[in-house]
Amino acid sequence: MSVHVEELVVTSAGRPLVDVADVGLPPGRAVTIVGESGSGKSLLAHAVMGTLAPELEARGRLRLDDTGYDVAERGNRRHLWGRRMALLPQEPVLALDPTMRVGEQVAEGAPGFRSDRRGGRRRAAELLAALGLGGWARAHPHTLSGGMAQRVAFAAATIGGAGVLIADEPSKGLDDAARDALAALLRRHLEGGGVLLTITHDLDLARRLGGDVLVMRDAGVVERGPAEEVLDRPAHPYTRRLLAAEPGRWTARPRSGGSPGGAPVLVSADGVGKGFDGRSVFADVSLTIRGGDRLALTGPSGSGKTTLGGVLLRLLAPDSGSVRHAPELARGRLQKLYQDPAVAFPARVPIGTGLRDLLHRHRPEPGRLEDLMTAMRLGEPLLRRRPGQVSGGELQRLAIIRAMLLDPLLLFADEPTSRLDLATQQETIGCLTDQVDRAGCGLVLVTHDRALARAVCDREVSLTPEPAGVPGSR
Amino acid sequence: MAAGRAELVLVTSVPLRAAARQVGSAGGAGPAGDGARPGRLARRAAIRRVLAQRCVQAVSVTVLVSTACFAVVQTLPGDVAMRIAAGRYGYDGVTAATADAVRAELGLDAPAWQQLLRWWADLLRLDLGTSLVTGRDVGAELALPVASSLQLAAVALLLAVVVGGAVGTAAARRPGGLLDRLTTVWVAGARALPPFLLGLLLIVVFSVHLGWLPAVGHGSASSVVLPAATLAVGLSGLFARVTRDTVAQIGGSAFVAFAETKGLRRRAVLVRHVLRNAGLTLVAYLGVQAVLLVEGVVVVESLFAWPGLGHALVHAIFWRDVPVLQAAAVALALLVVLVNTVVDLAGLALDPRPRRREVVP
Repeated sequence: MSVHVEELVVTSAGRPLVDVADVGLPPGRAVTIVGESGSGKSLLAHAVMGTLAPELEARGRLRLDDTGYDVAERGNRRHLWGRRMALLPQEPVLALDPTMRVGEQVAEGAPGFRSDRRGGRRRAAELLAALGLGGWARAHPHTLSGGMAQRVAFAAATIGGAGVLIADEPSKGLDDAARDALAALLRRHLEGGGVLLTITHDLDLARRLGGDVLVMRDAGVVERGPAEEVLDRPAHPYTRRLLAAEPGRWTARPRSGGSPGGAPVLVSADGVGKGFDGRSVFADVSLTIRGGDRLALTGPSGSGKTTLGGVLLRLLAPDSGSVRHAPELARGRLQKLYQDPAVAFPARVPIGTGLRDLLHRHRPEPGRLEDLMTAMRLGEPLLRRRPGQVSGGELQRLAIIRAMLLDPLLLFADEPTSRLDLATQQETIGCLTDQVDRAGCGLVLVTHDRALARAVCDREVSLTPEPAGVPGSR
Repeated sequence: MAAGRAELVLVTSVPLRAAARQVGSAGGAGPAGDGARPGRLARRAAIRRVLAQRCVQAVSVTVLVSTACFAVVQTLPGDVAMRIAAGRYGYDGVTAATADAVRAELGLDAPAWQQLLRWWADLLRLDLGTSLVTGRDVGAELALPVASSLQLAAVALLLAVVVGGAVGTAAARRPGGLLDRLTTVWVAGARALPPFLLGLLLIVVFSVHLGWLPAVGHGSASSVVLPAATLAVGLSGLFARVTRDTVAQIGGSAFVAFAETKGLRRRAVLVRHVLRNAGLTLVAYLGVQAVLLVEGVVVVESLFAWPGLGHALVHAIFWRDVPVLQAAAVALALLVVLVNTVVDLAGLALDPRPRRREVVP
């Protein structure tokens, strides 16, 4: 089993989005495409799979073993789906039907499920158990963590026994442990003689998969070669820039303020604990946050970072202990940035309309919005667009502007860049820390990325769950 | 960041029962159960909450509607006792003497507020009173109308859901296509056409000209067709529209795309994922339709002489039969509450996601 893509061109209204002469996917050797969002790497995957959006035109040939397929024709690969080609979706939390139990969602992809439902369900249960999710078949997707949902999606995509697996940004929003577990799953697919094409902006995942790496930029491939060569000794300047955007390699930037010990205490938590449905998430956490602080809350997904954040913000009531807020934080001086900016803006209202309402209500000094827009390198025309019409990085910067307009004393950022690619993450975090510094405002950063936490914050509170049973281990 | 200033605090969270049972915060979905016991407990609490809310609503609706009916009858022109006497003895038998006898017998000369209080007190004892005209118990009097109205409403709803749902699903396959545009015309036409006109049209075509179906009555099974169709036409248009929008929206979601690349056939994707999720919205929409249904029932039943609640209501107003009038109006209002309760419970059964968030006061 092997796949060859030849002379693939994807265009939108005449503008080329993908223009790649030749990509070979040999069995047993990972092929990984890295690059910024908008470089066309996801479109390449969808063109191979035959799932491009109808408004895009595609040309080119696809050879699967000895059979040739015309990429321009949409429906000609549908009969391969699930049996010979499978797509591991990005954002597995969204790719699972929220109303159906996960076991059923895995089982329905099993060959012969239509005639033998019981057999399909049995195979699904075995597969889930092999992925460390035994006993979760009857759970609904909203009860899973991101890493667990990714494993369910992996089971659902591969139960049909497809030899060609295409993974589109599979590690988006996953923590290190879940990402490593995912890499192990993908490698296992390769060891079984499978073909693997991975699209990612996560260079660590690319390193772990090995094989060949293709670097894409502006619709074309700028560099390709064995993973260790491209990622350790990049030849193209763009690849070098991509590598430099990893948080672990950021050059330290001097801070103007520093963490002032004598600053007033804004939030103090005293022995707080919280659990859900009788299961404790964390217990006896005490900490204080002062003005100008930079605190990171880290830990793998499922460790309760977001829950602790909710308790500190007093959005959740603690089961034990108490959280006190300084009176200065009242009237919107405590702001929160959300993980997914798209859900923090109303989808059908132009962004500027919401911001104008905010100006009208809180009356910050005139010109503040324009100053912030300039500082964030955002153009005024953006304000006339809706949230779906700007990029994720731009939208998150607009969310930062929205928070900073209220002149907050403390900004709480919950995984603000986990859905952005590395270069956009660096830019967004740069804008965030600049603004926080300039306003002398405290920052609490919730992240699963220890490198990012170290690059941004002075202090780190790490939530560690039980070490046993790392997700993905058998 | 200056490394020297970095400070590391380690907080070990309490050991979880088993590592595989960790529940994520990554999805942002909030509190979560492991799909087994805690989830079921939360579900039961939600069901209790719905039932409690709807019980309160039923009581308040009963009091409000019956009081409003009472007020309306009081302000109607004409002597109530005269109209009731006419209802009992016929217009020829009405004299001042019989009217006075009726007035004395029914206590109609008592002040209005005393009559209202008496009705409330009776209601509290679940005593609906007796019909002023026939002298029979109101409960017995309304048993047949309630059953017939329920039958009519059920057939009409079923018809509207099947026709509207099928047309909407088909239209969603090609937004902007011929069927989609026809649906838009259908929606506008069905809403613009008042039920009494539509009903007359159906009678003229199917009973008078074609002779296929009976125009009035309740005797045979075929007699329900025309009144139910009249109601269903009005309902089906909007239902088709909502179905089309919902199915199109869900068809574009990530989980439907994933279901397709898993290798499911189109039919399986439609039935197992699209319609299942569209059902959440559509079931909720049925609750809205219930109000439209009640509005239609009164007109359509009078038109087709269908012995239902709407029919009973109109006659009770005509003969100033206040207890029957109040009971019929209350029954219609409770029908709306009942439909909405069923809709809420169905929504809970279909959608497992929690819908309550706690916020610290």
